[in-house]
Amino acid sequence: MSYSEEIIVSKQAVPTFAVVILAIIFGFGLFLVGYDQGHLFSIIQGAEAFDDLFIHELTHDMRHAAGFPCH
Amino acid sequence: MKTARFIALVLLAGCFAGIIHGTANLAIVEPYLDEAIGIENQNLFSSGEEQDTPEFWVEYSSYRDWQKGGQVLAGAILGTSVGALFGIIFAFSRRSLPGNHNVKKALILAGIMWLTIYFIPFLKYPANPPTVGDPETVVLRSILYLSFIAISGFGALGFYKLSNRLDKSKKIAAVLGYAIFISVIFVAMPQNPDEVIAPMDLVNGFRAMSLIAVSIYWIALGIILGAFWQKLQPDKSLQTYTS
Ligand SMILES: [Zn+2]
Repeated sequence: MSYSEEIIVSKQAVPTFAVVILAIIFGFGLFLVGYDQGHLFSIIQGAEAFDDLFIHELTHDMRHAAGFPCH
Repeated sequence: MKTARFIALVLLAGCFAGIIHGTANLAIVEPYLDEAIGIENQNLFSSGEEQDTPEFWVEYSSYRDWQKGGQVLAGAILGTSVGALFGIIFAFSRRSLPGNHNVKKALILAGIMWLTIYFIPFLKYPANPPTVGDPETVVLRSILYLSFIAISGFGALGFYKLSNRLDKSKKIAAVLGYAIFISVIFVAMPQNPDEVIAPMDLVNGFRAMSLIAVSIYWIALGIILGAFWQKLQPDKSLQTYTS
């Protein structure tokens, strides 16, 4: 006699790949909002980015509001 | 666990909570920022660094609009990244969190993380509006703030690991251990070197609103991530066995 059975399998192991991806996103986003002083755009824009402070201005209010040290 | 589903639900939950945070900031924190920047402008005029001209105000309002608009976008970015950390810890600790509904579990974890990596560090190094900080000390202040968050977070993790090896009746010892540990660190870490010269009413009002907005973020994150998890069950899969 043959029958098939559907069961819900609980897989507890957390995939390493997902942890790595999420950890990178965490580090990158935190740096961008909390600490970037033109670093990110200097990669494509050069030293000018440190004067423009594009990201800094964009994230400025959130930086203060979320409690990061600023000016 | 379903990798793609897990990553997607974590990032989406963080992003939504972050947008809520940014919107809350616009509503309740922004008036204090405007007031603080107004004081900065007056200081610039009186020191002669800037002239009180129409051109100044045109330029000023254009970059202030940019900063305000950035608030929601920055909220989404920050919310997604903090949400990513939350998602990792939730995935590992979900089974040992109390409660039988994922929203409840996620809210409990959000509360613990709010306390250890936000509220306690906030008590030591409270948020400051513009005009308070000395640009010379921003790197030092960043290092102090981040170190304190890291010490508190890893300390909490360490005592949590320890509590797993204790009997149920003795688990409170781990909580006490963390409390003593963080109190010592709290006293031992150097103070924020900057003197607060802005009006205290402004600074306190700003801090209270900032605290409320960040707390809204953590509550939203717990509810949204918990609800997504409950609905999508990334750790469960339907398998068919034929025998
Ligand atoms: Zn600032």
